[in-house]
Amino acid sequence: MALVRFSRPFDPINALLNLQQEFDRVFDNPRGFDLGLSGRGTFPPMNVFSDADGYTVRMEIPGVAPENVAIEANGRTLTVSGTRETKAPEGASFHRRERSGADFSRSLQLPADLSLEHIEASCKHGMLTIRIPKKAEAKPRQMTVKAA
Amino acid sequence: MAEQELTTYKKPEETKDEHTRPGRTYVPAVDICETTDSLWLRADMPGVDENSVAVDVANNVLSIEGWVSVKEYENLQPVYTEYNIGNYSRRFTLSNEIDTSRITAKMVNGVLALELPKAEKAKPRRITVSAN
Repeated sequence: MALVRFSRPFDPINALLNLQQEFDRVFDNPRGFDLGLSGRGTFPPMNVFSDADGYTVRMEIPGVAPENVAIEANGRTLTVSGTRETKAPEGASFHRRERSGADFSRSLQLPADLSLEHIEASCKHGMLTIRIPKKAEAKPRQMTVKAA
Repeated sequence: MAEQELTTYKKPEETKDEHTRPGRTYVPAVDICETTDSLWLRADMPGVDENSVAVDVANNVLSIEGWVSVKEYENLQPVYTEYNIGNYSRRFTLSNEIDTSRITAKMVNGVLALELPKAEKAKPRRITVSAN
């Protein structure tokens, strides 16, 4: 039996509000990103970073040669697909098989203010880095104020 | 929470004997398979190049270690995270059947591939039967 410690008197209103918050957290997309079915265990795992000029998407794709990665932008959807080399030597029997995936494909939907024409991608030591800049009109601009 | 997980710690290495390293360490996923001549080990270490990996054999214990550079993650604000950044470390106990002097290793696209040749005495042999 699970033991639950109450630090304060049971408050049904607060419990409902907490539930509401949990639902909001699940259904809210992180800042306009729609990652589809995702989470831990999906190959390749992905991190998304932002800065003032745009977004950086990093994926861990060990064992994938740069020439075997394809990145496709279609509307607001970015698809990364490729083939992972997991070939075993001839006539080998496995003792342990923890590495996942052979062919993979993963899509994510991007916020509307990104310019998909200027995507840059690089792949080094099994790390794929995709740089997606913001559209020029979406960047914050500074105006100079002139004294009249 | 995501930001906290990706924070990098800069802690100086204090002693040579204890092998302390700053940051987190993860266990890499490995495939191990066997052929008649050797054992093959492949470990996923994304972000590790051939200069920041160490393969050691001592007292029949094979240890593999890889270090990632966190420099590329500076000035980046995480929005969504699925993996954490850290070094890799894993140990395996070898049997006497492995010829440790002939182990070869290479690093290709973030995968460490090791070939552990079997010692001559451990290889399967067929004895020819002669008549009379």
